[in-house]
Amino acid sequence: MSEQRINRMKDLPSTHLLGTGTPMCSGCGGLEALHQIYDVLGEKTVFVNAAGCMTLLSVYPFTPFRGSWLYTAMASAPAGAQGVRDALDILQQRGDMGPQEDLDVVVLTGDGSAYGMGLSATSAAMDRGLDFIYICYDNEGYGNTGQQSSSATPHAAITSTSGGSRGYPGYKKDLFSIWAAHRPAYVATVIGSEPLDLARKIEKARELKGSRMIIALAPCPTGWAYDPKDSVEIGRLAVKTGVWPLKEYIDGQLVHTRIPRERAPVEEYLRLQGRFAHLFTPATNTAMIAEIQARVDRYWDEVV
Amino acid sequence: MYRIRIHGRGGQGIKMASRVLGSALFHAGFNVQDAPKYGAERRGAPIFSYVRAARAPINERGTIYNPDLVVVADDTLLAVPAAGTLLGLDAHTVVLVNSHQSADTWRQRLNIDGSLLILPAGTETEDRAALPHIGATCAGAAACLLGVIDRDVLAKAIDEELAELGPDTVTKNRTNALAAFDAMADQRGCVEEGAAIAATDYVPPEWVEMPLDAARVSAPIIRASGNSVEVRTGLWRTIRPVIDYDHCKHCWWVCSTLCPDSAITVTDNTPIIDYDHCKGCMVCAGVCPPHAIAGEPEYLAQQRETSLTEREGTDATDTADR
Repeated sequence: MSEQRINRMKDLPSTHLLGTGTPMCSGCGGLEALHQIYDVLGEKTVFVNAAGCMTLLSVYPFTPFRGSWLYTAMASAPAGAQGVRDALDILQQRGDMGPQEDLDVVVLTGDGSAYGMGLSATSAAMDRGLDFIYICYDNEGYGNTGQQSSSATPHAAITSTSGGSRGYPGYKKDLFSIWAAHRPAYVATVIGSEPLDLARKIEKARELKGSRMIIALAPCPTGWAYDPKDSVEIGRLAVKTGVWPLKEYIDGQLVHTRIPRERAPVEEYLRLQGRFAHLFTPATNTAMIAEIQARVDRYWDEVV
Repeated sequence: MYRIRIHGRGGQGIKMASRVLGSALFHAGFNVQDAPKYGAERRGAPIFSYVRAARAPINERGTIYNPDLVVVADDTLLAVPAAGTLLGLDAHTVVLVNSHQSADTWRQRLNIDGSLLILPAGTETEDRAALPHIGATCAGAAACLLGVIDRDVLAKAIDEELAELGPDTVTKNRTNALAAFDAMADQRGCVEEGAAIAATDYVPPEWVEMPLDAARVSAPIIRASGNSVEVRTGLWRTIRPVIDYDHCKHCWWVCSTLCPDSAITVTDNTPIIDYDHCKGCMVCAGVCPPHAIAGEPEYLAQQRETSLTEREGTDATDTADR
C-alpha cells in the first residue's frame, strides 16, 4: 500500500479530470462528489453505470470521462463490473495487457439501484469478493424520473409518490450496515461538501483490493426542492446535525471519521429543503421534528 | 389544427403552461395533445413544450416543426441557437416574446417577416430561472391570441392544473394569466389554424444511401475522451458568478473543489471560472471564504459585454451564444 498523500486541503487536486458540459442539474451534489472522487481515482478506471441520473453523463456522442464507460440496466451494474474485471484479468493472464495497464473497475449507481433494485447483484458481487469500487450517489429518491421515493428516502420527506402532511412514511434503509455485514474490504460514507474526508477515504479505497463500497450523500436541488446555491450548505448541515454520519468500515472495524462534538438541531438541515416544508408551514410540526431528532440522537448515543 | 410551441428555461413553468393551455382548449371543445420535450430538462436549461388542438381527432405526433404560435417566455433564449425558438417559422406564424424590448427591435434582430408580438415583461428578476409564474402568464396571453378560449375557461384550467400547489399559488397564477389575457385583447384571435399535414404530401429528403456497417463501426461508441466539453452548458446560466480578484485569497481549493461541474480551474494559484460551462448554480459564491465571488444577472453581464466590445470596436465575439 502506498503512503497516503492527501493530508490537508492544500493536497487536493486543483485541476479536474471529469470533463465539464455534463447535463447534470445545476448545483448537483452527486456530480460534486463524483468529480472529487474521479480526481483521486484517476484515469485508469472503467466506469460501469446503472440506469439513473448519471446515465446522462455519457450520452452519445459525448462523455466527461477520460476512459471507458459501460451502461447497464438498473439492477445489474455489479454484474457488468464482474464481466469487465474478468475480461481485464484474462487479458493480463494471456499477456495481452501488462500489469501497469490494469484498470480499476468502478460501479456508479444512484440510490434507487444501490438501496433497492441492484442490492441483490451487489450482495452477490461482495460474496464473490469481486475486486471493484462501488460508488452510490444517494439523493434519496428516483431523481432522474422526478424524485419518486426510494428505500433511501428519509422519513417525512415529500416525494412525487409521497405527499400529504406527513410525507414519506418509511425510514431510510441502513445500506452502510447491510453492505458492512458482507465483510467487504471497505465501506465508507462520504459527501461532496467535505472534500478532505472524501479524498482520504477514496484514496484508502483505491489502495485496497476486493469490494470497496462508497455511499455519497448527494444533495439534490431538483428533488429536495432548494436553491442550487445551497448544495454545499445543506451537505455541511447534514454532517453537523448528525443526519449523515461520516464513517468507514475497514478490517472488521467501524470507525466514525467525524463525530460532531455539538450536533446542530436537525431543524437547521430540514428547514432549508422544500421537501420538508410541510414540517414548518402552515404550522411547525414539533412532534415530527422531535421524532426525527430523537432518531438521530439515538444513533449517536450508541456510537459515542 | 392549432400547433403551439412554448419555449423557456427549466424552472419557469413551461411544462405547466402547456398543461394549462391544453386543458383550456379541451374545455373549449377541442381534441388536445400537450407534452413537454422529454430529456435532460434541467433548471435553467433551454426547454420547450407544445400543444396541438383540433376539432377533429389528432393523428400527428412528436415535436411541432411548423408552429402557428411560438411563445418565448425568456427573450435571452432567442439568441441561443440550441434552444431552437425560431424553428420552422413561416409567414403565418405568430411569435409572442416576453420581453422588455419592443417588437420592432426583435423583428429587426431576428429578421422575421411574420407577426411578432411582445408580452411586456414584468419587473426584472435577478434570476431568470425563477421568473415568477411566467408559465401561467404565457399561457394566458396565448389563450387570448388563439381567440377560441374564453376568460373563465382559462381561469378554470388554471384552477384545475395548479390545484395541488395550494390556493395561494393558484390565485397568483390566475391573476397573472388573466392580466396577460386582457393585455392581448387587441390581438385576440390573431393566430390562424395551420393546414392539415397529410402523409400523402410527404416528400422524402434526398437520400444518400449508406452501406450498412459492422456493429464495431456503427454502434454508438464514443471514441474521444472528455469530449463533453463540447457541450456549452453555460447556456443554462441565469446568474453569473464573478470573482473579485482584489479580494480572492488564492486559497485555490475551495471554489474549485466544490464547483459541481469542474468549471473552476486554478492556474498559478488563481481560480478561473469557465463561463462556457458554468451553469450558474452559485455554489462557489456561497463557499468562498472571503466572499470574493458575487452574482450578476446573466442578461446584464451579456449587455455589459456587448456594449464593451462595441465600444472597443472589436469583433463582437460569440458572447451572445453563451
